[in-house]
Parts: sequence; structure tokens; C-alpha cells
Amino acid sequence: MSKLRRREALWFYLFASPWIIGFIVFLLGPMIASIYISLTDWDSFTPPKWVGLENYTRLLTEDPVFWKALWNTFYYAAISVPLGLVIGLWLANLLNKQVRARKVFRTLIYLPTLVPLVATAMIFKMVLAPAGPLNDVLGIFHIPGPSWLLEAVWVKPALILLSVWGAGGATVLLLAAMKGIPRELYEAAEVDGASPIRQFWSITVPQLTPIIFFNLIMGLIGAFQVFSQVYILTKGGPNNASQTMVPLLFDEAFSFYHMGYASAISWMLFAVILVFTLLAFRTARRWVFYETEVK
Amino acid sequence: MATIISAAAPPQQQEQGPGPERGRGSRDRVIGVFKATPFTYATLIIVSAVLCVPLVFVVSIALASDQTVNANTFTIIPGEFHWSNFTRVFGTDLPMQKFLLNSVIISLGAVAGQVLSSGLVGYAFARLRAPGKNALFIIVIATMMIPSQITMIPQFILFKELGWVNTFLPLIVPNFFSNAFNVFLVRQFVSRLPSEIDEAAMVDGLGFFGIYRRIMLPMLAPVLIAIGIFTLTATWGDFMGPLIYLNDESKMPLALGVQYITSTSAALQAPPWNLVMVGSILLTLPMILVYYLGQRYLYEMDISGGSAGVK
Repeated sequence: MSKLRRREALWFYLFASPWIIGFIVFLLGPMIASIYISLTDWDSFTPPKWVGLENYTRLLTEDPVFWKALWNTFYYAAISVPLGLVIGLWLANLLNKQVRARKVFRTLIYLPTLVPLVATAMIFKMVLAPAGPLNDVLGIFHIPGPSWLLEAVWVKPALILLSVWGAGGATVLLLAAMKGIPRELYEAAEVDGASPIRQFWSITVPQLTPIIFFNLIMGLIGAFQVFSQVYILTKGGPNNASQTMVPLLFDEAFSFYHMGYASAISWMLFAVILVFTLLAFRTARRWVFYETEVK
Repeated sequence: MATIISAAAPPQQQEQGPGPERGRGSRDRVIGVFKATPFTYATLIIVSAVLCVPLVFVVSIALASDQTVNANTFTIIPGEFHWSNFTRVFGTDLPMQKFLLNSVIISLGAVAGQVLSSGLVGYAFARLRAPGKNALFIIVIATMMIPSQITMIPQFILFKELGWVNTFLPLIVPNFFSNAFNVFLVRQFVSRLPSEIDEAAMVDGLGFFGIYRRIMLPMLAPVLIAIGIFTLTATWGDFMGPLIYLNDESKMPLALGVQYITSTSAALQAPPWNLVMVGSILLTLPMILVYYLGQRYLYEMDISGGSAGVK
């Protein structure tokens, strides 16, 4: 290697050192430690006790709360993410029409996503109260509203409702992508006599599939890690009906100091996220449309 | 991973296509799918109204008197206007000024860390040649897949050993080591700049750091501002981090403090919901301001948070 190239390489490692050091100290090291901790029984005060795979077997075979949390997390992710995307897409399509005051509508639809999650949770605590405005509105239509956060059947739909309030985030992203769809495609469809609905399904949706796919992946990863709203609104209750993976992990680690057990949960969470991401990529070939792709 | 990146990355090509906006006037007929009907307006108005009801309700509660709070008789449209709630939270009834100051310190520290480090690292990955670089970059991408919960417990132990629990340090210091997403953003941004710029600077005798400092840094402004905005919104609203590391009320940032107020009021006494909602408004307003001032940088980056739709 020439002197210049060696100097350049040296500078590369110097410049990249913040990330490299951070990777070792805050990621790689902790990851290895986490594997070890997950194989021990440890309260973080006394020395850890090696238990092998016991934490994992206990999780999978003896802990009904873990299975419940896993199911609740699936339930939440499987409904809130597609629902948010469908609503986001529907609103984006409306905003993509030649409407007056589009900016005003766009701002109003996006506004909820700017509210920090803690504030959102506070707001929904009031909105979903048994005598709150949501039940007032339902009352107008003579529908007896449930006590959302206090009933096992309704607590998950309530959390999904909260997430759907932020569907405007996807709208803005999809709207930007819609603006990029070549107009010629629509003109040709119009000449061929395609109805607006047909134009939407045959042009808009296929052209947007890469963005929809991106949002789906990021949304699923985010939904599997749902924490603040559950922790603040329900603490997992009633009777673990809204307990999800991360709040469960948090409680095990920082309320009960079961560091080993909590670490095992974190690896199960990783496995779940990994499986779903891979599954999404596997199906992507069938429905995601890439213009530049050579088949 | 490659598909997800290409799905996220192509902003230039997206912007150039003639959208429905263009060519308006030159054509007489509006294409079917772009035609706005009364139904379109009705739907947009109803949806916007429904989405805004919770926000109006917050303002209504924030302006309610203590009696209304105790009797739990709120109205959706503000009925009373106790503006004094907005001054009461500062000092007399709640330590909101302390919460705010803590939030500002933590957020600005985190932003400074990410902006300083991500620029350097991203530039290195985009421009400097070194053995092992490509392998390292694959690791950068791979780390994006790892949920932060995996490292949460060992990091807590680490910071506990360092004696950093109940200080701001665990929430600020890791940001000085950049993160994979930001490194990736800067790298993509630099890759699009013509390489003649730094080659010319090299011929003029500038060293690598000189090139970065004098040539690159000014050009990186848009991406660094975008990173600053992402970091600010993430840190400002972060709940779990402060919840793990800060137990002292005087150390809490706003996001945790607001929640703390509701969790500590005596069992039989309702939390001061009007003051909590004032806190929620104080928590939200800076985000609206930041978005308003920064949106053109965010759109330029075309990465306004992939998961924005799902909280």
C-alpha cells in the first residue's frame, strides 16, 4: 500500500472511530453480555447464578403471561399496522385529488403525529375515560360505550385506536410518493376508459408498493416494541389483557430485578422481529413492484 | 436489506415525475382519479374534525378549573378559560420549569452528539478508502435490525457501574458515538455530491480533516439539520430512557415529569388533569414548531420517519 493510501486508511479509522467505539461499547459488548445474562439467574446485586437454558424453557413452557404478552403483541401489530396503512393510503388518495385547501387538510391530518407519545397517552386516557368524549359521541347514536381501558375485551382495540390516530404520518409519506407517479400512466388509463377506482387500484397502488412495503416493515418493527402507551395507560392490565413484550420485559428487569429472565425475553423479541421481517421480505417478491427491476 | 434501502432512498427520481399538480390549466379535463367530488370534501372535513377532537379536548381540559377537574365534568369545546393554569405549573403548583430545563439540556446534548459524530463517520464511509471498510459498512446496516431492548439491561448495568444512574449522562453520552441510521443517511448524502470537489481540495493541499471541516461540513448542512431534528424529536419525547435512569423528580425531563404527576397523586385524589394537560401542551408545542421550521429539510431528505404512521 502506498504511503498516501495508508494515511487515508488511517484517517478513515480515525473518522469512523466514534461509531466503531460506540458499536463495541454500547452494542457488541452489551449483546454478548445479554446472551450470558440470559443464561443466568441474576438480580443485579448478588453474583449471577448459571442456569443454562432454563430461562428460555421457563418462558416457553411455564409462563402463561409471556404467551399472553406474545399474543397481545401479535394482535396489536397485525391490526394496527395494516389498518394505519390502509387509512393512510385512503387519506393520501383523497389529498392527491385536486382539492382546495389541501395544505390545511394535510396539516390537520398530520398534526396528531407531532404529539409526543407520552402526551398522546395522557390525551387518550381522558378521551377513553368511561365518561369521556368518545363514549359521549357513541351515546349520541345510542351505543353504550365500554370502559375501554378497564375491560379485557376493549383494551387492545383502544390501544389500536390510539395508534390509528397517528395514521397521518403514513399519509404524508404516501402523498409525497403519489406526486411522483408519472401522469402519463393515468392519461393512458383515462383514454382506455378506466374508472377512478380502477385507476387507483391498477396504477396508484402498484406504483406505491415499495413505499407501502417500507412502511409495513418499519411499522411492524415499531409495533412489536410498543411500550409507552401500554405502560402509561394500562400497565398491561386488566389481567394482562394488554400486556405486550417490551412492558413485560421492562417489569421483569426494573420492577422485579429478574435480569436473566428479562434478557431471555429480549432475545425472544429479537427472534420474533427477525422472523416477521424475513417473512415480509419473502412475500415482497410477489407484491412489491420495482420499476427498475430486471426479471 | 437491500430492498428496504432502495425503497427508502430514491427521492430525486420521485420528485421529478409530473404529478397531478403539474399541467393544471393546460388540460381541460381532470383525470378521473384526481377529480374531487363533494364526497371527497365531506370525507376530508369529517376525518380532519375527528382527528382534531382530542386536541381541542386537551385545550379544554388545560383551561378548566380545579373544581371541574374534581367533578370530572369536562366539555370537548372549552367552556372556561383559566389561563392562570399556564402560569401555575411554573413553580407554584408543579416544577414545570425544572422539567422543561431538563428536557432542553438532554435534547440539546443528544443533538450535539449525533450531529458532531454522524457527519464525521458518514463522510468517512462515503469517501475515504480503507481495508475492511465494506465489511464494517455491512455491520452498520446489520445493527439497524437489532432492537434496543437487547442492549437495554447490559447498558443499564454498565451505567450503574459508572455511577451514572440518576444523571443525564446515559441519555446524552451514547449519542456522541452516532448511530447506524444517521451514518447511513450522511453516507448516502455525501455519495451524491460530486467527488471532484474533494479531489480539487486535495490538490490544493488540504488534508482529510481540512476537507471535511472546510468543504464538506458546509455542504452537509441539510442532512445534519435533518439528523438534528430526528434526534431532537426522539429525545424530547423519549419516555423509556428517562424512566430507566432518572428517579429524582428534580432530574426528570418533561415527558417523564408529566407522567410522573399522574402516577403520584394520592389514591383517592384525581390527578390535576388540567395541569397535566398544560404539561402535555408544553411537551407538544416545541415539536410543532420544530416541524414547521424544519419541514423543508425533512422533505429534502425524503425520510420523514418511516414508522411515523405507527406509534
